[in-house]
Amino acid sequence: MNLKIFNRALWVYHMNTGSCNGCDIEILAVLTPRYDVERFGIRLVGSPRHADVLLVTGPVARSMEDSVRRVYAQVPDPKVVMAVGNCGIEGDVFHEAYSLVGPIDQIIPVDVYVPGCPPRPEAITYGVVMAWAKLEQLAKQAKQEVA
Amino acid sequence: MPILSYGYAVWAPIVWIVALVVIGIMVFIWRSRGQKGYKKETAQADVFLSGAKVPPAEERHVKADNIYWGFFESLKGLYSWMMKPHTGIVNDYLLWFVVVAAIAILIFLLAGL
Repeated sequence: MNLKIFNRALWVYHMNTGSCNGCDIEILAVLTPRYDVERFGIRLVGSPRHADVLLVTGPVARSMEDSVRRVYAQVPDPKVVMAVGNCGIEGDVFHEAYSLVGPIDQIIPVDVYVPGCPPRPEAITYGVVMAWAKLEQLAKQAKQEVA
Repeated sequence: MPILSYGYAVWAPIVWIVALVVIGIMVFIWRSRGQKGYKKETAQADVFLSGAKVPPAEERHVKADNIYWGFFESLKGLYSWMMKPHTGIVNDYLLWFVVVAAIAILIFLLAGL
C-alpha cells in the first residue's frame, strides 16, 4: 500500500453500541504487544473529533441510535466507518431483538466490514488497513476536487 | 542589554521578550499543522459529551457555588429555614432591625440595665 495523500498516523475512535464486549476485547488485543498496531501510528483516541476512523461494535441498541448518529457527525472529513463483529454487520443472534435498531449500516454509512464473533485481531488489523486505503482514496478525491 | 540583578535572581526583559516570541512562533507552527478538514458550522465543531446530546451553552454553565453542593445539601434544614427571611428587600431587613431592636430594648428595660 502506497500512502501518498493520507500519510499520517491513523487515529481511531471506538464506539460500543451494545456489544457483549467480545469484539471490544479483541480490539484491545490488537493494541497489546503481540500485535501492537500502535507501532504503525494506529491508536485509539478519546474523542471522535480527533479521529479518522469510527470503529463501531455491537448491534446498535435503540437507546444508542442518536449517539451513533451524533458521534458519526462529529468525526472530521475524510472519515471512514468500520463495523467490527457479526452483531454490528447483520445482528447475529440478536437480529430479531425488539430493543435493536441496527445493524450499523441502517444508521450510518459503513465502509469496512470485519465479520466474526468475535473477529480475530488479525482480521481487525486487516480491516484497519482497508480503512486506511479508503481514507487515502477519499483524501485523494478531496484534493482533486479542490484542485 | 538591561539586566537587573537582585543577588538571588536576574530580570532581563529582552531575554523574556525573545523567549515569548520564540514560544509564540512554535505554538503558531504547531497549531497551523492541525486538522484542516473541519467544517466549522457543522456538528464537527460541537462539544463531545460521550455521544450524549449537549445542552445549549447557557444551560450547561456550571456555577461556582456548585462546589458547595455537599455543604448546602448537608445543611439544607438550616438553609431552607434561613433563606425565607432573606428576601433581598431592604424594607424587610429594616423591619427585622426594628423588631429585633424593640425586643432587645424591652429585655434591657425588664432586666433593669
